[in-house]
Amino acid sequence: MTNQKDKHLFHIFDETIKSQIEELLALGKSSGADLVEIFLEKTDNISLLSEQSCISNVSPSFGIGAGIRVFLGKKDGFVSTNDLSKGGLLFALTQALRMLGLEIDSLNKDYFEGLSNLKDFGLNKDSWLNECPDLNESKSKLINATDALSRENKNLQVRRASYSRNWQEVLVAATDGVFARDIRLHQTVGINVIAEQDKNRSTSARRYGSSGNPNDLRDWDIEKSSFELNQSAQNMLYAKHVEAGQMPVVLANKFGGVIFHEACGHLLETTQLERGTSPFHDKVNQKIAHSSVSAVDEGISNYAFGSLSMDDEGMEPQNTLLIKEGILKKFLSDRAGSLRTGHARTGSGRRQNFSFAAASRMRNTYIKQGQYTPEQLIESIDNGLYCKSMGGGSVGPTGQFNFSVEEGYLIKNGKLDKPVKGATLIGEAKEILPRISMCADDLDLAAGFCGSVSGSVNVTVGQPHIKVDSITVGGR
Amino acid sequence: MKNNSSIENIGELNPALLIELLTIYSQESNILKWDMGASSSQDISVQVQNGNAKQLKGSQRNNITLRVWNSKNKVGITSTSDLTNLGIKKAVKGALEASEFGNENESPEFSTLAKDPLSKSISMDSKSHDIDYLLNILKDAERKLIDSHESIDSVPYNGLSESSMERLYINSDGANRYMKLAQSSIYLYAKAEEENKKPRSAGSIRLSNDLDKLDINSCINETSSKLISHLKYQPIKTNKYLVCFKPDAFLQLIAAFSSMFNARSIIDGLSLMNENSIGKKIAVSNLNISDEGLHPRNVGAFNFDGEGTPTQNIELIKSGVLTNLLHSEATARKFGVKPTGHAGLGAKVSVSPDWLVVSKNNDFEDKESDLNVSSTDKEFILIDELSALHSGVKASQGSFSLPFDGWIVNNGKKISIEAATIAGDILKVFNNIVKIEAEQIATHQGISPHVWVDEISITGEA
Repeated sequence: MTNQKDKHLFHIFDETIKSQIEELLALGKSSGADLVEIFLEKTDNISLLSEQSCISNVSPSFGIGAGIRVFLGKKDGFVSTNDLSKGGLLFALTQALRMLGLEIDSLNKDYFEGLSNLKDFGLNKDSWLNECPDLNESKSKLINATDALSRENKNLQVRRASYSRNWQEVLVAATDGVFARDIRLHQTVGINVIAEQDKNRSTSARRYGSSGNPNDLRDWDIEKSSFELNQSAQNMLYAKHVEAGQMPVVLANKFGGVIFHEACGHLLETTQLERGTSPFHDKVNQKIAHSSVSAVDEGISNYAFGSLSMDDEGMEPQNTLLIKEGILKKFLSDRAGSLRTGHARTGSGRRQNFSFAAASRMRNTYIKQGQYTPEQLIESIDNGLYCKSMGGGSVGPTGQFNFSVEEGYLIKNGKLDKPVKGATLIGEAKEILPRISMCADDLDLAAGFCGSVSGSVNVTVGQPHIKVDSITVGGR
Repeated sequence: MKNNSSIENIGELNPALLIELLTIYSQESNILKWDMGASSSQDISVQVQNGNAKQLKGSQRNNITLRVWNSKNKVGITSTSDLTNLGIKKAVKGALEASEFGNENESPEFSTLAKDPLSKSISMDSKSHDIDYLLNILKDAERKLIDSHESIDSVPYNGLSESSMERLYINSDGANRYMKLAQSSIYLYAKAEEENKKPRSAGSIRLSNDLDKLDINSCINETSSKLISHLKYQPIKTNKYLVCFKPDAFLQLIAAFSSMFNARSIIDGLSLMNENSIGKKIAVSNLNISDEGLHPRNVGAFNFDGEGTPTQNIELIKSGVLTNLLHSEATARKFGVKPTGHAGLGAKVSVSPDWLVVSKNNDFEDKESDLNVSSTDKEFILIDELSALHSGVKASQGSFSLPFDGWIVNNGKKISIEAATIAGDILKVFNNIVKIEAEQIATHQGISPHVWVDEISITGEA
């Protein structure tokens, strides 16, 4: 860590720091590095929690930091720091270069032609922070939410509502000329309850999220959310444990898309190709899924939680068709992934914050809608499981995935039957994708967080109702 | 130091400077009192692939969390990584604004133990190594692991890191805690594949306070032997089985249900236990569980918590009876006990365990004393590692349904299980324990013997 007390701090992200960044990049490039990238970040976040009918926590937080990445051949060195003084950044750059055996050669400044003009994706977003609800308005909205839950049901033992506003300003500059700035605004609201009756307990939770919409909290339909959440908790209160076995399942739309995210999406990131852990590494233009399955990953849907104006490497996001009628078409790639696997960048280089190097990550990922109604999917099953609400999931290093079912119902003779709890779905990506045999016509999206090599990033999962012909349902 | 001094960047954690700055700002803002937790860390890490460096990383990070009591004695908090003069001023302003929304029903105070002597001093001067040194160690480990068996084709997830961390807690009442910790870690997660079979994977991790004492060979050997044992696999039938949890797996399960011991969770209604549960029998009589943050095997030991309370060893379950809970200052006040040194720092303070230690109470007999992981003839399921704990555990209901890695063992013959889940209720697990082996094994997350539980539901694919 540097002790230098530089007068100049890299705290203003605009054209005024261009020459200073160029100076740093030129020094980096003088070492013989193939590429040097500087990522600067400022954050201004706030979170509130309402429990029962009282605000129990208000936590503002502020952050600054920089990540400096140097590429030499196919390897890279990355150093992050909170110290945004010129000395601090120079120290971090020197460290990153030394990791690759490089030293600044200040006499050698011929290799860097300078940055392009600033591409300012944040131009019309400077007012976002002030347009968001202030603490008073946020507090009122959350208390309204927990009160609405109370009106729905007096027997809820725990009522909680939370709100997070994450504001981020980033600037990316690299020796290939990239010079771009953006402002991001992500907001989430979550509500959860514990219902208790006759010694039975059930929990139910929902989370909603958006990007780039300062009015998101204001527009939140509290009554609708409270009603749905309470219904779910009540339905699950007396649910029996699901009987384990292999069976057909129908997964509901919205967060049901977590199955595609876990079972397939991660395996289409070049991060996985680099490691040699994707079973799909050599399957481009080959059939990997049922012909009813077409899937995309994009960063452009208005207000969707995984949308971006630029990725964390300064590239505009694309609408990437991953699978067309069962045929694998494309992988998600970032700068390092492109370098190491040859797959072209897709604007998917993402990181949680400055302390992570960007990696290929999903944005808004969903299975496209099909031709059936949700009812037709259920009617096609004699004995199976309907997964109305999904919990989280994960994928292992060789493609085995799992996810939990928060709210499930048995399907008997083509109709929904009793609620069941405690189901966990497990399987192998390669085996499950060909078994998604029917897609309904009700595509919808849901916000979530995805944790992987470059930290936790905001994503959207989604799908219409889908039918999986057979899957292992863990239970009792 | 004067408020208008020219410090642009405080840089390293400097308690005297921070105290001075906060004293000035709090006087300007009518802050009654304040406390602050801060941390600073530096680390380097390497990853390799096929004998080459893949990614080399370094970082230096600072963070402070500031808590203030305003003129109405309401508490506000903020955190920042911007350790410039302006950054800290902004943090004070943020905390003051937040204090207007402080919870009047439950306001934290300074810990009554924040100035008590610490039972153990932690001040490790780290001997930092060159990144090439780390790189060579990891390249060598990757090669040895791949060479250990013909079916092991890669080590897709690996890493070696060395870090040092400083941590402090100060308050306007004169508390001033400081500690310095050094830590190294290695993880190796390898993949193997045999013809016409599914790829299999396994991994292990080792931690140490000193890179030169990191037991890399045992990490290689454990990963290799585990992975080789998974090469021959079979599906199993869905049924109820006798299960033996390896120490890591049992600790994973206990940690996932640690809200049972958490006073904060109990007050909030999020725990399986309630305010009257202390003294209740919740497990078999030969089960003891304690939290021992200062255990010599805990390489990540902190000697004080987020509120400056000294870390203490706390007996949680003794002879099957819930005996104590983990507390912050606020929860301890509510329960009429002393804080236990398990708090974070916040307007609403979180509580969490440090280092769980499971042991057998020898005053009581095991129900099935003949069971032993290395010599039992009976058929049983040996659980190595649980997955998806973030989604498959309902802590407030006590239930779980989790994928796992493990083996079916019959007459001493171990065969890897292709894919399966384990499901049950934690209190039933506690009460269906039929054997707690004598040998306690230290893992990176605590200490536990092998623990045997009867009649657990396993879902397989056969």
